[in-house]
Amino acid sequence: MNRLSIAALAFSLVVSGAARADSVIVLNSDEASYSIVSRSARTEVVRLPVGREPHHLILSPDGKDVLIGSTATNELLVLDVKSGERKQVVKGILDPYHLAFSPDGKWFVTAAYRLDHVDIYHADGFRLAGRIFIDGLPSHMAFDAESKTVFVTLQQSGRVAAFDLATQALKWNMPVGNAPAGIVMLPDDKRLLVALTGEDRIVTVDPKDGSVKGSLQTGKGAHNFFPKGDGRHYFLSNRVEGVVSLIDTKDEPKVVGSVRIPGGPDCMDITPDGRELWVTQRFLRRVAIVDIDTMKVVGSVPVGKSPHGVFMMKSTATVTAGAGMPVRAASTAGDRK
Amino acid sequence: MRDLIDFWVGVQAWLFETLVSPVLFQFGLMAWYEPGYGAVEFVMLGVVQIAVIAIGMRYFERRWPLEKAGTDDGLIMVDRVYTVLNKLGVIPLAIFILTYPLVQEIELALRSWGYSPPRLERLLPWIGDNALASFLVYFVLYDFAAYWLHRGQHAFGWWWALHSLHHSQRRVTVWTDDRNHVIDDLLMTLALVLFSQFVGVQPGEYVTILMVGRLIESWSHANVNMSFGWLGDRLLVGPRFHRLHHALSTPADRHVQDHNFAPVFPIWDILFGTAIYDEKIRPTGVDDAAVDADNGRGWLVQQATVFGRFVQALIPRFRRRASAR
Repeated sequence: MNRLSIAALAFSLVVSGAARADSVIVLNSDEASYSIVSRSARTEVVRLPVGREPHHLILSPDGKDVLIGSTATNELLVLDVKSGERKQVVKGILDPYHLAFSPDGKWFVTAAYRLDHVDIYHADGFRLAGRIFIDGLPSHMAFDAESKTVFVTLQQSGRVAAFDLATQALKWNMPVGNAPAGIVMLPDDKRLLVALTGEDRIVTVDPKDGSVKGSLQTGKGAHNFFPKGDGRHYFLSNRVEGVVSLIDTKDEPKVVGSVRIPGGPDCMDITPDGRELWVTQRFLRRVAIVDIDTMKVVGSVPVGKSPHGVFMMKSTATVTAGAGMPVRAASTAGDRK
Repeated sequence: MRDLIDFWVGVQAWLFETLVSPVLFQFGLMAWYEPGYGAVEFVMLGVVQIAVIAIGMRYFERRWPLEKAGTDDGLIMVDRVYTVLNKLGVIPLAIFILTYPLVQEIELALRSWGYSPPRLERLLPWIGDNALASFLVYFVLYDFAAYWLHRGQHAFGWWWALHSLHHSQRRVTVWTDDRNHVIDDLLMTLALVLFSQFVGVQPGEYVTILMVGRLIESWSHANVNMSFGWLGDRLLVGPRFHRLHHALSTPADRHVQDHNFAPVFPIWDILFGTAIYDEKIRPTGVDDAAVDADNGRGWLVQQATVFGRFVQALIPRFRRRASAR
């Protein structure tokens, strides 16, 4: 695509609200910017500045905003989810590496990966309810369906900790394996899946007491989950192996598909039609596009340095997933059954 | 341009996933996964820099030498060792391991107090829309800090004891830039990393600044009789400008080395009154027999000897402090 056509595309996206819903946000964690990518044209339209070291982003509970956490500048950039317009910058959110709203939308939780604490805010106005200092690099989060508990992986200490949201008290803190990262609560609300980045497997953890109930080999560097949207299947990025696995969680979890994604695959999102999985390739400065039916790579979009979080802008989204990742309303509804 | 980026990161990712990532995974070092990837790029950039020096810059030295080849040519070999050790990351890795905990502690302490480093884009939003402008602004700031640190290397006796190793070379060439004591490298790295964090330089920008800056500094040491023209010599440090900073002092020119400190942009010397522009060709080195004895020594002996000078420069200060109590 030549410069003229890219400029024309950029202009059309700026002036067309419908086109904005076609956009994908990708956070370039090593260069303080985010890319706006055209989903249909599969090309980067524009690169915009944001605070330093942006890693993850999340949809607000009302589905109107998307929040980008800039870890080194301690702030959230709030964008209008339909127009992409910058609405405000929320200051004083320390090291918002991972960020998530509880399913009921009342709590906003951040994992301060480098500062070793978990912050629990009242979502209304981002008022800090409690700061829990805990060693071990807190990284990813999941919630129970009742929004009473947040589960946090501690990547360095190899543990998962559970905190009561209302009292911020520790419920349990249990070893699960080497370098746990991604964590997701399954729709039955009785099983947590935890990806072990220091190993080649995921484990099933009992949310009541943190005990490990099962294990599934997936690939080296098992890292992050994303729900397929049917309440049953989950995608899992295996960073060292360079593979994304599809896991069926009905009964005992098992791998039912995989696709090779080189370059340290990390965060994921699905197009609103449910046909494509977009995966950030941290090392290759690209986003891979996977056809979900065939589990084959069908495209690749160049973006900025060390792309991490990825988010589909869409007008229909209304709620968020417990794993701290924005998903389509349909898929989240399915997961919560 | 995109093809070049794809080629570069393709090689980087292949090297990392083939050589580094399995080791990190095997030994449970996944916390170093992302830094490990950055380290691979550092080494790759080092190979490129060595190639640019050995092929590109050396061509100019052979074609238009300022000082003709002579009996002192053997002195250059040790500078090549310094360059390889630095550019391929051996010295930087050691410095990183030593300084990382301190830099980390300072950064985390500041951040846990709610301090977030400023980002110039907030003051000058137009910078954020132009990658080249952003790079240049941060590069100029970085060079400003490097200028004052360089003045510090000459102003303090204990620091000069270390930095004199860099100046002791009688045959200044493109290889001389990396000829530094590891403690000197450590201090400069620590100061510049902290400064960069303070002003908000991004990790990616820091690597680019380091790469471009060090190449220009290698060129400024070249034994080349070339000029950028009147204006060019005032915009960018070149071999003639920097060679004067390496000039051997004489009774008539006792403080000649206290000039032309700027690493990349001569504007700092012009602004702060330390610039000298003249066409006079002077021999290089240090007018001190103990320092001049560095010539002819190997890397290890130079490091040990200069460390001795450093300790000697520090001890009288400690003694004076002790007696004052």
